[in-house]
Amino acid sequence: MLNLIGNYSLVFALITSLILAVVSFINFKSNKSLDFNIFGAVVLQFTLICVSFFTLIFAFIYSDFNNAAVYYNSHTSKPLFYKISGTWGNHEGSLLLWVLVLSLFTLIFLFKSKKLFNSFRILTIFFQQIITSGFLFFILLLSNPFQLILPTPNEGLGLNPILQDPALAIHPPILYLGYVGSSIIFSSSLAALTCKYVNKDWAAEIKKWSLISWIFLTIGIMLGSIWAYYELGWGGFWFWDPVENVSLMPWFCLTALLHCSSVLEKRATLQSWTIILALCTFILSMSGTFLVRSGILNSVHTFANDPERGVFVLIFLTFLVLISLFLYFKFNNFESKPKSFFLSRETAIIMNNWFMMYFLAVVLVGTVYPIFLEVFTAAKISVGPPYFNQLIIPFLIPFLVLMALGTKLDWIKTKKFKLNLNRIAILILSILISFFIVRNLNTKVLFLSVLISASLYLLLISIIDLKNQKFKWSQRISHLAFSILVISIILNSIFSEEFSVNMKVGQEKIISNSTINFEKISKQEVDNYTSIKAEIEIKQNENKLIFYPELRLYKTPETITSEADIKTNLFNDNLLVVNYLKGSDYLNIRYQKKPFMFLIWFSAVMLGLGGILGLRDKLK
Amino acid sequence: MKSFKFIFFLLFCIFFNLNNVFGENAKVDEISKNLRCLICQGQSVYDSQSEFALSVKTLILIKLESGSSEKDIYDFLKSKYGDWIVYEPEFNNYTLILWILPLFLFIFGGFLIARKVIINKR
Repeated sequence: MLNLIGNYSLVFALITSLILAVVSFINFKSNKSLDFNIFGAVVLQFTLICVSFFTLIFAFIYSDFNNAAVYYNSHTSKPLFYKISGTWGNHEGSLLLWVLVLSLFTLIFLFKSKKLFNSFRILTIFFQQIITSGFLFFILLLSNPFQLILPTPNEGLGLNPILQDPALAIHPPILYLGYVGSSIIFSSSLAALTCKYVNKDWAAEIKKWSLISWIFLTIGIMLGSIWAYYELGWGGFWFWDPVENVSLMPWFCLTALLHCSSVLEKRATLQSWTIILALCTFILSMSGTFLVRSGILNSVHTFANDPERGVFVLIFLTFLVLISLFLYFKFNNFESKPKSFFLSRETAIIMNNWFMMYFLAVVLVGTVYPIFLEVFTAAKISVGPPYFNQLIIPFLIPFLVLMALGTKLDWIKTKKFKLNLNRIAILILSILISFFIVRNLNTKVLFLSVLISASLYLLLISIIDLKNQKFKWSQRISHLAFSILVISIILNSIFSEEFSVNMKVGQEKIISNSTINFEKISKQEVDNYTSIKAEIEIKQNENKLIFYPELRLYKTPETITSEADIKTNLFNDNLLVVNYLKGSDYLNIRYQKKPFMFLIWFSAVMLGLGGILGLRDKLK
Repeated sequence: MKSFKFIFFLLFCIFFNLNNVFGENAKVDEISKNLRCLICQGQSVYDSQSEFALSVKTLILIKLESGSSEKDIYDFLKSKYGDWIVYEPEFNNYTLILWILPLFLFIFGGFLIARKVIINKR
């Protein structure tokens, strides 16, 4: 019964969507106003998709194994929280969430854009409906979450245990809010192009939407990386894994768009470029879904492999790209730009975009190139952290310096670029501090000290700018957050220490200056898994730390996960994780000292806060 | 047949050296961080505790002790398992575009910006 309701409300949502697309196009052609019918239909569509989504949640809560998605991804012994999060922990459910968010954003756009140009609004709705109906077709034909299984099984197969985690439970919805937010940016850019509405009002409107997407994307990426940090048991937080890269690409694009749309808003220039960025952001989000869901990427995150789905998304994506290209070349004739000078805020923002696009290019090429190479030459290569680090880190140095200097420039023309004594003093101070930091290292001293100087310089300038009333709070906070993030990541990667050793209960070992004592091990049955807790003491000089890392043996499906024990303080994380060694009574013990981890998470949250402040300013 | 012997040899090594081999050699850690664990999903040899990863770590240690250089070890593994195993793609005909394209785009972008600024100045 539940399944039928869910399924048919999706079918009706699709019909509504198609009707809406036709009606809004006719209204646009005949210059009619956005009438009540369109409003009603959008509300109806949202309601239908909501109904469908909630039926799926109920099916998960009540473990209705009649439903295939529930059968494959749930189990009666699972805690309620993970039953609910299991709804979007699988391919079908996650797409339903995509569409839900999509229709929610369409609804919000409709309510919040009343002051804007009428045909622009209608066209935006039209393009939104094309996207929505594409996704609904995809769900109904190729990944229906309401498929039935007969006869009804008694028990489900269970959710992959490494996905049973609070951070990961909320990570996909938040990331999707970010991805899907960019759909409005996409639709409204196409609409604005077609009805010649690429102006300051439009820039202000998409700035709101890009802020919303950007906030969710930032937080979503952070949650994913927190999860990887403590759940995957490698003690790292970023692996340049294709799926991570895929979420980072729209982030670079959005960050560029955020800065660029201010130029359009203030100076009515850079129209084409803003449009290109706006279109690319959504295309990248879509390709992200395509790359992840088609199973093309070989990575930890790919749980759903199905080539048919890949082909569908690929065709749909090509279709959207072709529409975008067609409309872009047809309507891309903007009025000549007003003059701007070399030393101006505009130039600084263009520089920001230049670097953002470069970082995007590195990540895009590094992620996609191996796929193409394999298709065309059958040669299989890995593009991993060394590639990204080598191409990105050197470019950070000019980027950070430009970021520190760029905010000092005025719009249109900076009268005099004063060589402020303070600024030189800060530069010298950061160089001195960085020498002090790297003096004990023996590799790449020169490069590292320049890198650290640049990031310290940005940090100090951003701290001083906190008092500067000239800038908005959103800018002050997010720039400071970014500088803290960069410097914490750099220092973290330089000063992390670790060792790994295999030990039995009761053993004691000495490695360099630490004594490791494997004290005890205890076993306990919890909810849906067996927990094996070890007690390990690590002594370093005077310091003594006792860790309780855990191994969890899940029965459905049979998996072992290891839970790290992390002792966090403001400047240092101590992390210890144990791993099971097959066929022996030894455990692999891995101890890591990771400086500034807290600051990395803190600054990512602060970055999001900067976005929220910006959004508050815009909504006032 | 050759690879069969090789695997047997590695398994042999694992069972007899398991407890005193790993973790105490920084060089092994450094090299194994740049290697992909072929039977795992998205894990490095260093991070993994799978049999494959353990055998590769043992191999690295044995090679190091017999005086092989880092490059020899990478080359040996590449000839055995293909380029897929190393995280850092080597610079050759196949990867030319991979390394050059982003840098080219950067220069191209710089050129566009420079042109815009110069045109505006006139």
